[in-house]
Amino acid sequence: MNQVVVHPERCVGCMQCMLACATAHSQSGTLFGATLEQPLPKSRIHVGAGRFNEGFPNRCRHCDPAPCQAACLAGAINRVANTGTVMINPDRCINCASCAMACPYGVIRFHEDPLGPPNRQIAVKCDNCSSRVVRGLIPACVEVCKTGTLTWETVDDAMRRKNREVSRAMSSGGPGQPAVPDGVALLKTIKQAELEIGER
Amino acid sequence: MKHVIIGNGIAGVSAAEAIRELDAKAAITMIGDETFPPYSRPMISSVLEGSQPHSKLPIRPKGFYNDLSIEPCLGQRATAIDILGHRVVLADGSTVGYDRLLIAAGADPRPVNATGLELQNIFYMRTEAHSAAQVAALPGATKAVVLGGGLVGFKAAYGLLRRGLQVTMLITSGYPLSMQVDPVAGQMIMDEMSRYGLTVEVGVSVTGFTGSGKVAAVETDDGRSLPCDLVIIGKGVLPCRDFIPRGQIAVDLGVVVNEFMQTSAANIYAAGDVAELIDLARGRRWVNALWPEAASQGRVAGYNMAGRQVAYPGSLSRNVMRVFELDVLTLGDANPGDTSGYEIVQSGGPTSNIYRRLVIKENRLIGAVFINEIEQGGILRALIENQVPLRLPATKMVRRGFNFGQLV
Ligand SMILES: Cc1cc2nc3c(=O)[nH]c(=O)nc-3n(C[C@H](O)[C@H](O)[C@H](O)COP(=O)(O)OP(=O)(O)OC[C@H]3O[C@@H](n4cnc5c(N)ncnc54)[C@H](O)[C@@H]3O)c2cc1C
Repeated sequence: MNQVVVHPERCVGCMQCMLACATAHSQSGTLFGATLEQPLPKSRIHVGAGRFNEGFPNRCRHCDPAPCQAACLAGAINRVANTGTVMINPDRCINCASCAMACPYGVIRFHEDPLGPPNRQIAVKCDNCSSRVVRGLIPACVEVCKTGTLTWETVDDAMRRKNREVSRAMSSGGPGQPAVPDGVALLKTIKQAELEIGER
Repeated sequence: MKHVIIGNGIAGVSAAEAIRELDAKAAITMIGDETFPPYSRPMISSVLEGSQPHSKLPIRPKGFYNDLSIEPCLGQRATAIDILGHRVVLADGSTVGYDRLLIAAGADPRPVNATGLELQNIFYMRTEAHSAAQVAALPGATKAVVLGGGLVGFKAAYGLLRRGLQVTMLITSGYPLSMQVDPVAGQMIMDEMSRYGLTVEVGVSVTGFTGSGKVAAVETDDGRSLPCDLVIIGKGVLPCRDFIPRGQIAVDLGVVVNEFMQTSAANIYAAGDVAELIDLARGRRWVNALWPEAASQGRVAGYNMAGRQVAYPGSLSRNVMRVFELDVLTLGDANPGDTSGYEIVQSGGPTSNIYRRLVIKENRLIGAVFINEIEQGGILRALIENQVPLRLPATKMVRRGFNFGQLV
């Protein structure tokens, strides 16, 4: 089963995924239309600054078992059997934030959502772009990601690819291929150096 | 294998589901004194407040018992456990035999010792029936008194304020939520509630209620009489343990269990508000009467009863309260009485509308209070729960941009 796999070491913090996510979860479905909507659609993937100011894309891992599901006071969180996606039912959510305390990744937000009940704040998080996937599309964040940070594949495939990349980068013979693209690695080094100089 | 579960709250329900997950055939009987379908107890405060209808309380489908082939035995309490005979005795004298027994009886409101409790419009706040009765008493009510400044007292006061009543809260301790938060956060919460019309009186106890038929005033221990037409008692809860044979099952405040949710008696387990187990932040036994705890403990108890050994490392207190414009999050041991040996990092406060407090012991996070911007609370909970040494200075963790990426 394909899922969104995150490779944080490749993230440059461009935040295009956030824009694409918000657009995908808007009423109009277009970037221009989305900017004019009320309430303003918000991203469900969150690019934060890591310890060295590097980008870190953070999204729901759809954990199994899901701590948010066990913590939900309203019985609003469930798992879709065939996809494994953990969903929040907007009509049952009471905005109590019990799930925020359960989530070890801090990826649940609370606000009014264009696709939820009007004038009421609810818990909002990644839904694996379920409505896109049933139409044969891939999740919006993956589609827009330019650096290979977000991929749509089975976890097994991702692991195998990662293993290959790492072993190639480690092997002494031949030109090898860096595990992270040169440009990304350079950007990260610069950011880290900047921060270290700043802190001195 | 015959499983019997006393209590059909979330701990009992989660245990039954876990047993069924592992064993399609085992017999399961659930004994519960509430006949309403499994429901969200915390949501009764939303019903009082008027933000959710009573009809939304159930959290499992109508056919729950049938779908999971559970034999429900509802409408009466278990009154005794006959350990030698492996059976539970019910109020009507009948008995239910078990191979494995789960005590998931939850807690009852702590009773108040006062005269006139039989008057109308005096309520506890624990069951869906209580909330229905409270809502029915609202028309015409204008002045309410809430006893207790703990979580339930607070939710009651908040709900009544939202319904437009004048509310006076009487608390015995020094400031509201003193069990959950430190004085700075307590003050911020109190200020917010006062802004919306709440009167709080500290260090006051109630000795009695007066009125003819209906409550008309509460009498305080300092000799005053406060007029009111509705009272909600929210002075905490006590584990339901009156039916438990003391000599045979270890009971402290709650029923004592080990990491497999086993009591001191063979084949008897306990979970939820009734259970007492190691608290991860405090490092000693504690009763954390909270929904997520009850759900997780119930599930782990169910797995163990069905034969899969699963350990539950310990419990942890955690809570979020939304009080008008404030979101208040508390975790673990947020307010240790004696702070020697603790490192406490605070930032923000009443003037900035954001407040953060971290309690650290031996470089491990053991407690936190956040006011507003609480979305990252789960990361802190995981840090407390996993008891990992902190790699990031605490001063960075109280900053607004703090996120999961900084920990990896
Ligand atoms: C107003 C309110 C607000 C709350 N808000 C929150 C919140 O925001 N967050 C949070 O985490 N928690 C909250 N809680 C606490 C939460 O509801 C409890 O922790 C949780 O319901 C405990 O579940 P339980 O299954 O252990 O016990 P219970 O829900 O108490 O279920 C036990 C059941 O067993 C029955 N029973 C008891 N004794 C017997 C007996 N001898 N025989 C047969 N049946 C028996 C009881 O009647 C009850 O139906 C709140 C509670 C209240 C009352």
